[in-house]
Amino acid sequence: MTTRLFLTLLLAVTPLSASAQIAEAQTRLKSAVNEVLAVADRTANRAALADNVRPVLLKHVSFETMTKRAVGPGWRQFTPAQQKQATQLFSTLIIRTYSNKFTPGEHPVITYQNPVSPAAGRVDVPTDMVYKGSNYSVTYRMEQVGGWKIADVVIEGVSLIANYRSQLDAQFKKGGANAVISSLTQSVSRPQ
Amino acid sequence: MKSNTYILRLLLLAVSPLLTDCSTWSKKSVAQQPTAASSATKTTPAAVKSNEAQVEEVDEYAAEVSDPLQPFNRAMFRVNDGLYTVLLRPISKGYEKVLPTPVRKGIDNAFDNVKFPVRFVNCTLQGKFKRAGQETGKFLVNTVAGLGGLLRQSDRIPALANVPAEDLGQTLATWGIGHGPYIVLPLFGPSSLRETVGMAGDYAANPVNWGLFWHGGHDWEHDWTMIPPAANTLRLLPSQLATYDDATKDAIDAYLSARSAYIQNRAEAARK
Repeated sequence: MTTRLFLTLLLAVTPLSASAQIAEAQTRLKSAVNEVLAVADRTANRAALADNVRPVLLKHVSFETMTKRAVGPGWRQFTPAQQKQATQLFSTLIIRTYSNKFTPGEHPVITYQNPVSPAAGRVDVPTDMVYKGSNYSVTYRMEQVGGWKIADVVIEGVSLIANYRSQLDAQFKKGGANAVISSLTQSVSRPQ
Repeated sequence: MKSNTYILRLLLLAVSPLLTDCSTWSKKSVAQQPTAASSATKTTPAAVKSNEAQVEEVDEYAAEVSDPLQPFNRAMFRVNDGLYTVLLRPISKGYEKVLPTPVRKGIDNAFDNVKFPVRFVNCTLQGKFKRAGQETGKFLVNTVAGLGGLLRQSDRIPALANVPAEDLGQTLATWGIGHGPYIVLPLFGPSSLRETVGMAGDYAANPVNWGLFWHGGHDWEHDWTMIPPAANTLRLLPSQLATYDDATKDAIDAYLSARSAYIQNRAEAARK
């Protein structure tokens, strides 16, 4: 009797765990998006937005993963100090890029589509967004890195990380870790 | 009746080289598969992908298009950037200032609706017959119930909302034809050999340009033929400049950023 119960339980639980993971990732994403939108609603101007969303994004986005991917294979030749510096600079740049996409007073309407898991520990959540009268397809790539975190945002097929990869990889080939870091420093310090 | 069969025969003749081309392409890719699977170098990326330690190598992020004309392209990119600033941006701003948003939306809808043949032909060329039917439905609904296309009434019908727009570049991609070299065109910006061919085909298939084809360039009484294509270019300016700005504003290298965004976006369009 107990073995039978155990087997039934096992059967019930196994397929669930995969879909439970997906559900968990999606729940995390929804709360992250809602938090960001709440901050955006409170903020009247764009310059302040980057500062205000920063703590929210630091909580929900894995900037370490993003930076690593954006740099590409060259990452392994960075010293730990260089990795840390690159991550800090890149986070600032990403937060700015992301908050520049918002126009104060405009509210996006987001419809969540069925999430998929392309690999263990990864979940892609496709969404449709209506913003300023236009439709956009936006996919959030979530990863399990000590909790589900956003690892990439793909807008109309354009991955934020792949886009930076094409640029940072070129810098790395030109002058290694130092070139990557100095190009990031330059972009971050460029006046808005 | 007789002229009908004549036209049909002509069409078949015109299309047949494309069909043979298409079949050779697909055969080629099938033939290549076993060698790819057996070669050791090709299998390593997959092995790397599953390895957590080398997470930075995830390869949907690897580079994307050949760019042998880079020096020329970079120069053209700089020229375009200047032209956008001194010429197109002021025109675009003026257009946005003169016409209120709902009017511009209506104009966009009408031009999109008229472009129906481009989408229909390319759905058909890709064998997406269901989508060709959806496009026809959209065209009828918007033309009849949407005041000749000014209103997108079709969006209210779930089966006709969000139909991805097909074009010739995507058709060529579906047939297995690669981008060829990346090209930055004067004014138009990012493109490739394949996409330039696609753009030319779509231009010819778009009814907006038909007047210019039939009568254009010869005598002054047909000067009106310039108006529809010019209006089409004008109404597209604000959104195209916004796309350009999105790709270049926070870039480390604006040229590479625009190239990557363009290639990724076209790949996604072809997948849909």
